[in-house]
Amino acid sequence: MTATAHRAADTLPDVDRPSFARLMLSEWTKLRTVRRWTVALLAAPVLIILVGVLTASSSQPGALDSPLVGPDGTWVQDRFHFVHRPLTGDGTVTTRIASTTLEFSVPPEDGGDARARDVERTVWSKAGLMIKDGLRPGARYAAVMVTPGRGVRLQSNFTTDIAGPAAGAPTWLRLTRAGSTISAFQSADGLSWDPVGTVTVPGLPQTVEVGPFVTSPTATLLAQRQFGSIRLGQYPTTTRAVFERPTLEPAGAPGTGSGEPSDGWQDDEVDDSAVQAGTPPAPDRAGGKGPQAAPPPAVWAGDRLTLVGVGDIAPRTPGEDVIKQNLTGGYAGLMAIVAVAVLFVTAEYRRGMLRTTFAASPGRRRVLAAKALVVGAVAFVIGFTASVAVLLITQPIMRDNGFLPPVYPDWSLTDPTVSRAIVGTAAVLAAIAVFSLALGTVLRRAAGTVAAVIVLIVLPQLLASGLPPVAGQWLMRLTPAAGFTIQQTIPRYDHVPRICVPENGCVYDQPWAGFAVICAYALVTMAVALWAVQRRDA
Amino acid sequence: MSAVHAIHAEWTKLRTVASTPWLLFAAVAVTVGISAMVTAGASSRTCPTPSICLDDLPRLGLTGAQYGQIFVVVLAVLVMSEEYTTRSITMSLAAVPRRWRLYLSKAAILTGVVVVVGSLGVLGALLAVRRLLPGTALSAANSDQSLSLADGPTLRAGYGTVLYLALVALLSYGVAAILRDTAGSIATMLLLLYVAPILTSIITDPAWLKRIEQFSPMLAGLKIQATTALDTLVIGPWQGLGVLALWAAGALLAGLLSLQLRDV
Repeated sequence: MTATAHRAADTLPDVDRPSFARLMLSEWTKLRTVRRWTVALLAAPVLIILVGVLTASSSQPGALDSPLVGPDGTWVQDRFHFVHRPLTGDGTVTTRIASTTLEFSVPPEDGGDARARDVERTVWSKAGLMIKDGLRPGARYAAVMVTPGRGVRLQSNFTTDIAGPAAGAPTWLRLTRAGSTISAFQSADGLSWDPVGTVTVPGLPQTVEVGPFVTSPTATLLAQRQFGSIRLGQYPTTTRAVFERPTLEPAGAPGTGSGEPSDGWQDDEVDDSAVQAGTPPAPDRAGGKGPQAAPPPAVWAGDRLTLVGVGDIAPRTPGEDVIKQNLTGGYAGLMAIVAVAVLFVTAEYRRGMLRTTFAASPGRRRVLAAKALVVGAVAFVIGFTASVAVLLITQPIMRDNGFLPPVYPDWSLTDPTVSRAIVGTAAVLAAIAVFSLALGTVLRRAAGTVAAVIVLIVLPQLLASGLPPVAGQWLMRLTPAAGFTIQQTIPRYDHVPRICVPENGCVYDQPWAGFAVICAYALVTMAVALWAVQRRDA
Repeated sequence: MSAVHAIHAEWTKLRTVASTPWLLFAAVAVTVGISAMVTAGASSRTCPTPSICLDDLPRLGLTGAQYGQIFVVVLAVLVMSEEYTTRSITMSLAAVPRRWRLYLSKAAILTGVVVVVGSLGVLGALLAVRRLLPGTALSAANSDQSLSLADGPTLRAGYGTVLYLALVALLSYGVAAILRDTAGSIATMLLLLYVAPILTSIITDPAWLKRIEQFSPMLAGLKIQATTALDTLVIGPWQGLGVLALWAAGALLAGLLSLQLRDV
């Protein structure tokens, strides 16, 4: 039979064509009646579950003694230099920040000036005004601050971050408390005030501590890769901020009554390092070389206050993504699915059966589309069922192994991130199945297609850890391997810098971006296959 | 038909299949290319002393074999499975009625071809890496390691890698003889080889890490490439290759039994 004959057949009236539903039914019948395909399709969920259980039962969290938690139970760090006085009831605190200076040193062998600019660009040093529920690390707070390069921000309770005007020091800042509502303002001249934002801090007691604060985290940057392990550059920083005329209205209890501008202000360092002791550095944003030494005490010169701070006020996230780890079996399961999806079309080419199929339903594109839908749907169902099953099985195992809140928060299958990971795994497997089927249609050879698909999906994962970080990352981003990005569930905070390396499963910031890549592969290959199947002899 | 004739017939089959030269070329090119790429990308510029970070230069220079082996797997699977796909197995067995003789002839030819190609890949990788090395940040730190084949451990890593590839080929060949299906055999082999390194990159329990490294055909077998810090390996170089040899022997035997006892 020639291609011309088939094209002529395409123009037959619709009554001679089987309906699309019948086409799908016949393709489904083909798929389920080949015994070894059924065996392979049943092996896929078994592999996903087995690998997941193996991963879960052989994972241990680091030794976490007593991680610090914020007001909502989030794992946090809380260390800063605080000059404060009590405020009872409502009130307003105002100051001018004359200057902020970031101090750190970069060894010349790490890249000198360019590296220093990277540190300045990355680090979220903070200087401003804070209202806090006492001096206990992890207590409720709201703060307005200048952050070099990122303007004025209003932050509260570690996880909330509101961007204000793009101003830096020198600038005026103001924080106003009315009940549990705290509003922040910024001004260039101390006369006309622009609002930065308003936050609600529930549970704030009647009496709080207010005043200027400074903190300055350790910058963590990616250094070179060495034989499969990533070296991170850790650069502890110090920020020196000069505040002018910090004033609280109403002034509250005076100190000694000396009338000096410093009168009534107390100098303390809020330091979580005692609480955090024993906490291993999280790989993505690590404390690294142990806690920094305490900064020198605050210095008053008239109404000018010089404050030096180290530390950070921010949420922390664990290095391992528990959900993504337990869904690792997707890599094993996909190999069985790829083999079946490829054979689903190449076996028909090989046996010449495709000619019979096309004779029975001359609309070749419809046949291919029906095949793709059937194999994609089967892969989706397998992926979905196996993901739900593996997470239900591994959750108690992970808890027994010590993956407990606050570092590893409790989760349920209905959490948006967890359900996205489950549906995402199923959708990625479906996209891979369609990609395999389409590539099999184009190449018509089982051996080459199976090897090519598995090489494209599995090997970037391994090779990425042997390449320089940037090359490894682009390898992961541009190959279908990126699809599994959709499994990531660790919360991302825009106000917390993080190191994105393939080892952490970090390929794209946005989980959906990786899914889009695998879908693009599937759609483009499918388009080529639809074109080829029409043009070529069967 | 004598054994020599059977082997000669298999050689004719292998060399006249269109995919063979491409697969062999790809195996060498990928082994050399990825070895060169990974070496060029590694750096020990910030290492305090070479002994801490620069653990194993010959092993690094032979990284490509982990990826070149895919084409060896495909070749080895095709040698057996295509006989079933094209049904030429009935004719082959009509010509060589003793099935074990056909089976061993194929295995012998396959081993010979993979040894030659593996040697080319290993030599090419070591030469490429030696040429690249002065231009990389590694050169400053590697004064105590050479990539010369006159160096005992390096030589062992080199021919050990060739043996590794030959054993992977025999394992794939055995699996193909059991499954008699191209796509299924390739998928099974890649699963068997590559799931272990993905697992070890995730799990943290040292006992499980050790178990996986000891029993995975790829991770245990590649220990033959180690040249330094041998006392820290969970399994020695030759013992590791022995694990892979056991895998290969098991698959070969099962494949032979499958051929002898089942209808073709």
